[in-house]
Amino acid sequence: MYRYDEFDHALVRERVEEFSDQVARRASGALTEDEFKPLRLMNGVYLQLHAYMLRVAVPYGTMSSRQMRKLGHIARTYDKGYGHFTTRTNIQYNWPALTDLPAILRDLAEVEMHAIQTSGNCIRNTTTDVFAGAADDEIEDPRPWCEIIRQWSTIHPEFSFLPRKFKIAVVGAEKDRAAIRTHDVGLQIVRAADGGTAFRVFVGGGQGRLPHIAQEIAAAVPAADLLAYLTAILRAWNLLGRRDNIHKARIKILVASIGIDAFREEVDRHYATLRREDLKIPADELVRIQAYFAPPPFEDLPKASAPFDRALLADPDFARFARNNVRRHRQAGYASVVISLKPIGGVPGDITADQMDVAADLAERYSFDEIRAAYEQNLVLPHVKLDDVPALWRALHEAGLATANADLVTDVIACPGLDYCSLANARSIPVAQALSTRLADLDYQEKLGPVRINMSGCINACGHHHVGHIGVLGVDRKGEEYYQITVGGSPDEQAALGDIVGKSLPSEEVAPAIQRTLDRYLEIRTDGERFIDTVRRVGPDPFRDAIYETLDAANA
Amino acid sequence: MKIVTANRLSDGRVIYAGVDNQPVDSIEQASVLDDTAAEIVLAEVAGRPDVFVNPYLFEVSDRTPSGRDRLKERIRSAGPTVGNSLLWEKA
Repeated sequence: MYRYDEFDHALVRERVEEFSDQVARRASGALTEDEFKPLRLMNGVYLQLHAYMLRVAVPYGTMSSRQMRKLGHIARTYDKGYGHFTTRTNIQYNWPALTDLPAILRDLAEVEMHAIQTSGNCIRNTTTDVFAGAADDEIEDPRPWCEIIRQWSTIHPEFSFLPRKFKIAVVGAEKDRAAIRTHDVGLQIVRAADGGTAFRVFVGGGQGRLPHIAQEIAAAVPAADLLAYLTAILRAWNLLGRRDNIHKARIKILVASIGIDAFREEVDRHYATLRREDLKIPADELVRIQAYFAPPPFEDLPKASAPFDRALLADPDFARFARNNVRRHRQAGYASVVISLKPIGGVPGDITADQMDVAADLAERYSFDEIRAAYEQNLVLPHVKLDDVPALWRALHEAGLATANADLVTDVIACPGLDYCSLANARSIPVAQALSTRLADLDYQEKLGPVRINMSGCINACGHHHVGHIGVLGVDRKGEEYYQITVGGSPDEQAALGDIVGKSLPSEEVAPAIQRTLDRYLEIRTDGERFIDTVRRVGPDPFRDAIYETLDAANA
Repeated sequence: MKIVTANRLSDGRVIYAGVDNQPVDSIEQASVLDDTAAEIVLAEVAGRPDVFVNPYLFEVSDRTPSGRDRLKERIRSAGPTVGNSLLWEKA
């Protein structure tokens, strides 16, 4: 894992002192809310419905046990004993007092964490494949590049007053497990013709009110020129992007309005100059940063594990967990294990302080002290010996963290919605809970196979509803909550926006309508066909019929 | 009728203008005001930014939020309808 150097420590320490002073001046009344708001937003502090909310960055989703324990300590000491992992792989605290924020930030700085650039019109936390450095299909570990982007983008003076926020995601494999095409910039590591590392670059993706799938702008930018190319993209947008209309300020609107070819010309014009300047990444600096992400000292193990295989036969619950939450690893005898934060009927992404401690202990004991946050609002222990998976599973089970539903239909991605968020029009969590409870039967879930359901409580789409296989968007109709359903969205290398199937439904109709959709899929799928593939083959009509059949009957 | 609400500066919690325009935590203790009085109270608490952050009015009927934002105001007054906070409050 990356460790702060003297510059990182100094930067974070100075920011804590600066923000502590700003908080003191706000608490004394010397600063008005209007004056304070831009300052708090630079430090991840929002004012939500019930309290302040603090969003803490988890750079590219990677944490040590010590960091996770500190997150638990903060939840227990300054909050109500829990935190919420987000689709940007950050963690949010829903209840901190303004006057506790300096102490919280000091606690975070002790473990090399902070809340800088988790809000505001700047470059946000870079996300990546949660299985980075572990997946068996990876060309190269994307995390060193995420770290380089983090260092380059942190308090970058040219990019501290952007037209809007800017999000980057990086993957190191053909398979896109970080939804890169839904980002302002998506980067995919590829091999250049000369065998060196290069980046396939996508630009102009984004969700929200006007969703767009990113388009390819470059097939293979040489790795050493990555920062020059990113600077060129941001500079082109910073100069040409709209600032007069908040809804039209994202780079996706610029790319869509002038077209990808014209935008590429703009970028290339800047890039031609920038790549000759001192933005080239020095080879020795790259080696230095890559060393932080060197593989842990894996043991030389056989592919098969007798304890793992015995547990599979002995315990059907373990076998189910192994089928759904354990992923192949590049190293023989190891696996990655998904810790689902989607207990049946629970709040997607929430985790208690005690559970954070358990996860930290288990990462320390079984996963080389490393734990990851996934954008799907789950955690992952990336490097677990197959021999240890049964014991790990038992410990997770005791802590209520062994729900065997990763990537299944109850692994719902959902924003906090109107229960917490001051932007929301409707609640997301109770709808996700109703769905989870209704579809709780794991035999049924496994029969369905992988289905991604995403829920957002407003058009800002923090729950990524546009790219859910089934998406649910909360809308306000004259003070009542209604929910618009989409089908056919996809966040991966076959990224697509879902189709709106029809008029919105009242909240109690959402879960039954989705179950009818899933039952229709079971009727019409071919052998081995996943839900999303059936939608792609037959289109949305059969699912629309299923969603509205009882409503139409009731209205007839 | 209307109620004046805001978030409290120190901890961000939901507050209402109560007797003598003092901040109160519970909607049950909030002053229920006619339009004219509500505007006066709103102006008064807006002059106390050391307590009242982003004050505004919402409509009530029998002290229950009744306007277009009634659901949001019900959730603000009672806390999240779901989840860990409720478990915590009960504990």
